[in-house]
Amino acid sequence: MPNEAGDAYGLTALCPIKIGDDQKCSFASLTRAYLQQMQETRADEDSPMASVPNTYLCRFFVLDNVNYQGKPAVLDSLKSPYLVFVAELHGDRDTYLEGMWKRAEPMIREVWKHCVGFGSVVTAEHFVNYIVRCQVETTLYFNGSTDDPLREQLKALYLQQEFSKFAFASTRKSAEDLQRDFRSFVARTRPHDVARPTWRAGASDLANVVVSGDESENS
Amino acid sequence: MMSTDPDIPLDLHDIQGNIIKAYNREDYVTARYVLYQVTDGAKGREFLAELLPYVTTAAPWSRESAVRAGNPKPPVTLNIAFTHQGLEALELPAASLLTFPQEFVSGMVKRREILGDDGKSAPEHWDPVWLKPVHLLLWLNGPGRPNEHVLDEYHGMLVELAKKFAPGVECLSGHRGEDGAERDYQSGSALYDEDGNITAKEHFGYSDGISNPFFKGTGANPNNVIGGGKVTRESPDTVEGWEPLETGEFLLGYKDEAFEYPEAPLPPLLARNGTYLVFRKLHENVGSFESYLDETSKHFEGGKEALAAKFVGRWRNGAPLATHPTEEEANGLAARWNQAYVSMKKAEADHDDGAYATASNVYADVRKELVAFDYDQDLAGGRCPVGAHVRRVNPRGGLEFGRSGAFASRGALTNRRRILRRGLPYGICRDRSRDDGEHGNIVMMLVASIRRQFEFVQQQWMNYGNDFKLGNDKDPLLGNHSDDPDGIDGRMTIESTPGSGKPPFLCAGIPRFVETRGGAYFFVPSMTALRMISKALVDPT
Amino acid sequence: MSNIAGKAFAMNLITPIERKQVKWNKVAFWLLTPSKPRNFLNWFTKRLGPRFDFAAKLNGLITLSMIHYARWVIVKPEEWPHLGTEQPREDPAYAYQLFFSNFNGSWAQYVDSFSAGIPEGLDGLWNKNVGWPTSVPQGPFHDYVRHNEVWTNYYYSAYPMAASNDIKSSKRLRNELLDFIDRSEKMGAKEFQREYHKLLSSLQGNPNPDFTAEEKFPCLGQMAPTPIVSLASVAVRRARVEIRSVEEVHDAE
Repeated sequence: MPNEAGDAYGLTALCPIKIGDDQKCSFASLTRAYLQQMQETRADEDSPMASVPNTYLCRFFVLDNVNYQGKPAVLDSLKSPYLVFVAELHGDRDTYLEGMWKRAEPMIREVWKHCVGFGSVVTAEHFVNYIVRCQVETTLYFNGSTDDPLREQLKALYLQQEFSKFAFASTRKSAEDLQRDFRSFVARTRPHDVARPTWRAGASDLANVVVSGDESENS
Repeated sequence: MMSTDPDIPLDLHDIQGNIIKAYNREDYVTARYVLYQVTDGAKGREFLAELLPYVTTAAPWSRESAVRAGNPKPPVTLNIAFTHQGLEALELPAASLLTFPQEFVSGMVKRREILGDDGKSAPEHWDPVWLKPVHLLLWLNGPGRPNEHVLDEYHGMLVELAKKFAPGVECLSGHRGEDGAERDYQSGSALYDEDGNITAKEHFGYSDGISNPFFKGTGANPNNVIGGGKVTRESPDTVEGWEPLETGEFLLGYKDEAFEYPEAPLPPLLARNGTYLVFRKLHENVGSFESYLDETSKHFEGGKEALAAKFVGRWRNGAPLATHPTEEEANGLAARWNQAYVSMKKAEADHDDGAYATASNVYADVRKELVAFDYDQDLAGGRCPVGAHVRRVNPRGGLEFGRSGAFASRGALTNRRRILRRGLPYGICRDRSRDDGEHGNIVMMLVASIRRQFEFVQQQWMNYGNDFKLGNDKDPLLGNHSDDPDGIDGRMTIESTPGSGKPPFLCAGIPRFVETRGGAYFFVPSMTALRMISKALVDPT
Repeated sequence: MSNIAGKAFAMNLITPIERKQVKWNKVAFWLLTPSKPRNFLNWFTKRLGPRFDFAAKLNGLITLSMIHYARWVIVKPEEWPHLGTEQPREDPAYAYQLFFSNFNGSWAQYVDSFSAGIPEGLDGLWNKNVGWPTSVPQGPFHDYVRHNEVWTNYYYSAYPMAASNDIKSSKRLRNELLDFIDRSEKMGAKEFQREYHKLLSSLQGNPNPDFTAEEKFPCLGQMAPTPIVSLASVAVRRARVEIRSVEEVHDAE
C-alpha cells in the first residue's frame, strides 16, 4: 500500500464542499475563513491538532478549482470546491481518525460543516467512514524522517536537546563527578519514559517546549 | 559533464575593476570608502559624468617594464556603486527601478532579520552614516607605506570635485573614526607585521582572502581554476578536479549555473557587465576572541593555535586543516608561501622578466597547496570540523556527504552560493585584551544575486547549521551568537578522529566575536551603464 | 494563509496530466517505491542504463535530507470522491497529479536544490504533466511551480523547532543513550568515563558514503526556532500575535 511508508501513513482526503452560500458568503469561503482564523488565533501548541495523537504534520486548504495551463492546454474545471486534508501520521488510519474525533470533535464539526454528506456524521465511526469515502490513494510516499510513534519522536527531541546541554557542560569533570552527574541527568530526563519529561506537541519556542516530569501530557 | 560551451571573453574595458581584480593583490592596500546623498538628480548625473574618466576598469594593466604605454596602473583606483534609492535619486525611470530584485530594493537594514543583525549588530548600533539616505558609494584604493599620502591626495581631489555639485550632491558624514569622531569617509588598510611588511591578515590573526571563485571569461591563468572553480568528480589537486564557474554567477548578462541568464533589471544594457555589491563593516571583538581562545585552549590538545585553526578550518597562517592537519606541516607550507611571494615581488621590482616568470610559477605551485582540497577524505570532520568557518561558507562538494553521484553534479548545492570577496581590514587593534576600539574588516562581496548567494550563506550556513546536520549551531567565528542567557548557546563540536575513541572537543558559551557596524546593498554598473545613467539614457521601453 | 509551521514548509502542487499518460507516470512512481525488493530494482535499472537509475535518484533525495514527508497522488478523472446526489459528478478533462511536501528551509532553497541536485528525478516524475518546462533552467521551472502551487490555509507541525535532520539524529541519540545507560550501570568511574567518551565520539556523527549503509547522524546540535525564511511571513505572524493579544485584552475586559 503506497499510503504507507513503514509505520508512517500519508492520508489525503478531498472532501467536496457544498455549492451555494449562507446568504452572504459561499460555503467554500466560509470553510476557508474558519481555517484561517484557526491559524490566526491560536499558538501552535494550542492547536486542536496538537491533542490528536500521532499527528506528525497536517494541513488543510480549500481547493477552489484546478489551474489553467494556457494554450494549447484545454480549460479544465472542477464542479465543486474541495476541502483538502493532508496528514502525515503514525500508525493505522482508522485508529488515528477515531482519536482525532475523540480529541478534536468541535474543530472537526466546524471545519467540515459545509462539506457534502457531513451532516450525518455524529460518531467517530461515521467520521472514519466519511474520510475513507473522501480518501484518494497515494501513488508514491516518501518518508524522509522516521516512522516512530509521535511520543517517541518528541521524547527523542527532548532528550537530544537536554543531552547536548549536559555534554557541553560536562567537558571538564572528573570521572567521579561525571558519573554522578550523568546519573542525576538520567534521573531527571527519564530517557526510558516516553510520557515525561518530554517536548510539548506543537510548541514553537524554547520557553514552553518542555513538559516537565510533574506535568501530565495527554497526547 | 564536460562543458562544450564556446569561450566568451569578457569586455574587460566595460567592467568595473574591482569585480575582476583583487586590488590588495595588486599592491593597493589602503582604501577610502565615501558615501553620498543625491538630492538633485541632474547634479548627481553631472557629478557622475565628471567621475567617469577616472573609473578603474577590469582591463589588464601593462606591467611597468612593458614598452608600450597600454593601460598603465593608476596611482589610485576608483569605483562606483549605487543603492536602489540612489538610482531613484538619479531619476532612473520607474519602469527600470521596478525590475530590480526585492532584496536590493529593500536594502540591508530592512533585511536585518534575514541577516541576523540583532543585539549589538542591530542597525541602531551601526555607524550613523549607514542610517542616512545612502545613495552612492565611491571607493578609492591606493598604495601602502610609505606612499599612503597618494591616496590622501586623490581623496582630496575628489572632495574638491564633489564640492562643485553641492548643494544637490552631499558627502555623508558619520563614519565612526578611532577617536569616536564622526568622519566623512571610512578608511581601510592591510595590516603590517612588526617588521613593517604587508600581511594578508585580519585582526584575529588569520590570513584572509586566500580562496576566491574562479569563473569564465576573465583571462586569468587557467591553472587558478584549482580550488577556485567548481568541483568535478576528479581529484581536487589536479586541473581536472575543477571547472570554471559560469560567469553569470558574478556578472549579469551571462549564462549562470542554472543554465540561464540571472535575474536582471531592464534594459539589458543597464544590467550587462554589472553586478551587486554587499558592503559590510564588521567590528572584531579581539579581546573576547583572545580570551576565549586562551581559556578554552588550556584543555585542548594542540593548544591555542590548533584551536584557532579548528574554528576556521585553516591555520592562522592560511594552511588548510584538510590537507595540513599538524602545525608543523602548516608552518612549512606558510614558510614556502612567504618565500615564494618575496621572490616574486623582488623579481618584479628588479624588472627581471625571466626571474619573475620562474618565481610566479613557484608561487602558483605553493598557492595550489593552499586551495587544492575538498572534504571527501574528512567526511566526519576529524581534521577540519564540519562546522568550521571555511567548510560552512564553501563546502566544496561536501554536501554530497561523500556519496558520489547523489546529485547531478558534485557541487550542485554549492555552485550557486559562491561569493567574490574583496575589501580590507580597517583600524588598528591597540589592546588585544579589549573589545572596544575601531578595528575590523570592510567586507565587500560581489554576487549576481544578493539573496541567493550572500543572504543564503549568511543565514543558512553561518547563522544556522541544518545543512551540515548541526541543528541550530552557528559559525563559531562569524555566527551571531546570542548575548541572551536564555537564548541559544554559542557552541561548536570539534570532532575527534573517527574510531579513535576520543571524545569530540565541545566548545560552549562562544560569545559574538564579530559585530556588524554598517553596510548596504549596492549595484555596480558597467562603464556603459554608468555613462547611460549619467546622461539620462536609461530607457526600458 | 500559512505555508510555514516553524522549520517545516508546506507545498501543494496540483498539475494536470493527459489521461493517456497516467499509466506511464505510474510506472515511474512504482519504480521509485522503496518497498519493492531492492535486488529487483537494481537488476531492472541496471538494464535500462544510468538515465533510468531511479534508485540512484532516490538516493539524491535521501542525501538532500530536507524533507519530513512528501507524497505524490495521481487522481484519475473518475477517482474524484463523490458523496451523493448533492454533489455533481466530476468529469475533468485531465487526470491530476497532487504533490504535497513538508520540507525544511525556504521555498527557493527547496526548489533550487531539486533543480540543481536531482533534475532528472524531477523530470521523471513530472514530464508527463501538461506544460512541464523541465527542471532546468530554473526560471521557467520556478514559474511553473508558482503557477500551480495552492496555498495552505492551516498548517500544523508537532515539532516546529525540529528539521527532519533533527528527528533522525535525536532517534539515533536516544537509542545509543538507552543502550549506554544499560551498559554503564555497573561500571566504575574510570571505565564509565572511558565509555562515555566513546559514546560522545560516536554521537559526533560519521556520514557513511556507502548508499546502502546507515548514516551516523551527528547528534550533538542544539535546536531552536528556525531562522526566518520569509520576512512577509514574519510580518503576517506578528500581526497575528497582535490580533491575539488584542483579543485577550478584550476577553479580559
